[in-house]
Amino acid sequence: RQYGGYEYSQQSGFVPPDMMQQQQPYTGQIYQPTQTYTPTSAQSFYGSNFEDEPPLLEELGINFDHIWQKTLTVLHPLKVADGSIMNETDLAGPMVFCLAFGATLLLAGKIQFGYVYGISAIGCLGMFCLLNLMSVTGVSFGCVASVLGYCLLPMILLSTFAIVFSLQGTMGIILTAGIIGWCSFSASKIFISALAMEGQQLLVAYPCALLYGVFALISVF
Amino acid sequence: AGPSAMSAPGAAAGGGSRSGAAEWGGFEDNMQGGGSAVIDMENMDDTSGSSFEDMGEMHQRMKEEEEEEAEGEAGAAEEEDGEFLGMKGLRGQLGRQVADQMWQVGKRQASRAFSLYANIDILRPYFDVEPVQVRARLLESMIPVKMINFPQKIAGELYGPLMLVFTLVAILLHGMKTSDTIIREGTLMGTAIGTCFGYWLGVSSFIYFLAYLCNAQITMVQMLSLLGYGLFGHCITLFVTYNIHFHSLFYIFWLVVGGLSTLRMVAVLVSRTVGHTQRLILCGTLAALHMLFLLYLHFAYHKVVEGILDTLEGPNMPPFQRVARDIPVVSNAVLNTTAKAVALTL
Repeated sequence: RQYGGYEYSQQSGFVPPDMMQQQQPYTGQIYQPTQTYTPTSAQSFYGSNFEDEPPLLEELGINFDHIWQKTLTVLHPLKVADGSIMNETDLAGPMVFCLAFGATLLLAGKIQFGYVYGISAIGCLGMFCLLNLMSVTGVSFGCVASVLGYCLLPMILLSTFAIVFSLQGTMGIILTAGIIGWCSFSASKIFISALAMEGQQLLVAYPCALLYGVFALISVF
Repeated sequence: AGPSAMSAPGAAAGGGSRSGAAEWGGFEDNMQGGGSAVIDMENMDDTSGSSFEDMGEMHQRMKEEEEEEAEGEAGAAEEEDGEFLGMKGLRGQLGRQVADQMWQVGKRQASRAFSLYANIDILRPYFDVEPVQVRARLLESMIPVKMINFPQKIAGELYGPLMLVFTLVAILLHGMKTSDTIIREGTLMGTAIGTCFGYWLGVSSFIYFLAYLCNAQITMVQMLSLLGYGLFGHCITLFVTYNIHFHSLFYIFWLVVGGLSTLRMVAVLVSRTVGHTQRLILCGTLAALHMLFLLYLHFAYHKVVEGILDTLEGPNMPPFQRVARDIPVVSNAVLNTTAKAVALTL
């Protein structure tokens, strides 16, 4: 499957990737799982016109309107989540949020991008296994990673606050607990609406709280 | 699981070809110039009729050039390509074998992903719980049963125990961070996870083995569940005593809370075992391990705080006196915040 899309003529051999991009037909792939290395992606074909080329953002699967919708869903914890918004796997937003989290930690003097990456990878894997075991329909790994990444947004607020004030007093503990609760509440809300697991919100929220608690531990100490 | 497994080799190959993008253009120039034996080999090749094989051969050569420039970007799929470098004498076979190998790798990864998913499905019934049930079982785990002549029911679920083990990991991490523990060989997270999961799985297996020897009626899942819920007492004790540094308080909690959860586990096991010697062996072992684990967790991850407190009070206190026991509550809190402030500024 990896090389299945390359059908170029025999004489010209392999064309450098920047030339190939101009010959891709528009195949309406905004709802496909995102492949962030798109210029050499397996779905590109050779031999179409320049006018058929889709806009770059649509080709990459980055839909700003959806990203904004999902961000708003996370930021309003009491807003009812629409289960269908998680149908397409969007890793652009979560990637930005993880980098922003690492950047705010950097501003506080903690160079811990590696920890953020490792913890988010292991946490997503753990939640993926747990949700597959607990839900009637399964979930895909991309969906889990996407939801957990979006709900990291309040944690960025916490680490921004940690740049200026120390979080190790009583005020800091209360704020940290509140932000962890906010993150895990949003994540569990989206998971339940996407997987139709009513009555189990607390059971889904607790592992999310543990994961975001580890992120908070990085921010605080 | 399927699409993600298939996209992983694609990502590795895509990454490899993307990194060699600048070099591909250069290679084209070489092709038209012509002069090395490698290129002649391709032109003379009659059997490389499909673009797929060209792709494979070019990929092969690009990898050689990359290796010559000492760039270490080979992924797992490309490393398997590397095994074919020794068989360059087979013209035309090379591309086909590379293609074959790629397909095998993809198929292997897909089947591995599928079998992993199928194995997870076996555990599915043990995670079918409701919040009310979990709360009830948590509270029950601290109450020893009185009736030991009748086999007590054990809930065979794994959600509660798994969450309790993760909570214990989180509490340990928090304790290690607040006391600035430095682990020299390994990481904090790795140590915490290894300790907690090792205890849960290892001691469960050991007690299950003893139960098999002593003819007790308990299954592995029930044992995992029982020991997992028994960690609830440990979580409470450590959560309280990592934040309030009192030795006597810890010993009280150790005896009361730890003792209650141990008694519950012991009572359930006794109700399922026949014979005095067997009961004694099984329950004695479990009680000893459970209580000693709590003692270990407290002392292994906690003593750095006392070290800081001792150095602060060094000139003023006699060396054998421990600060936490002798100074009243108010100044202990002051000392703790001072210790933290000093540790932060260091």
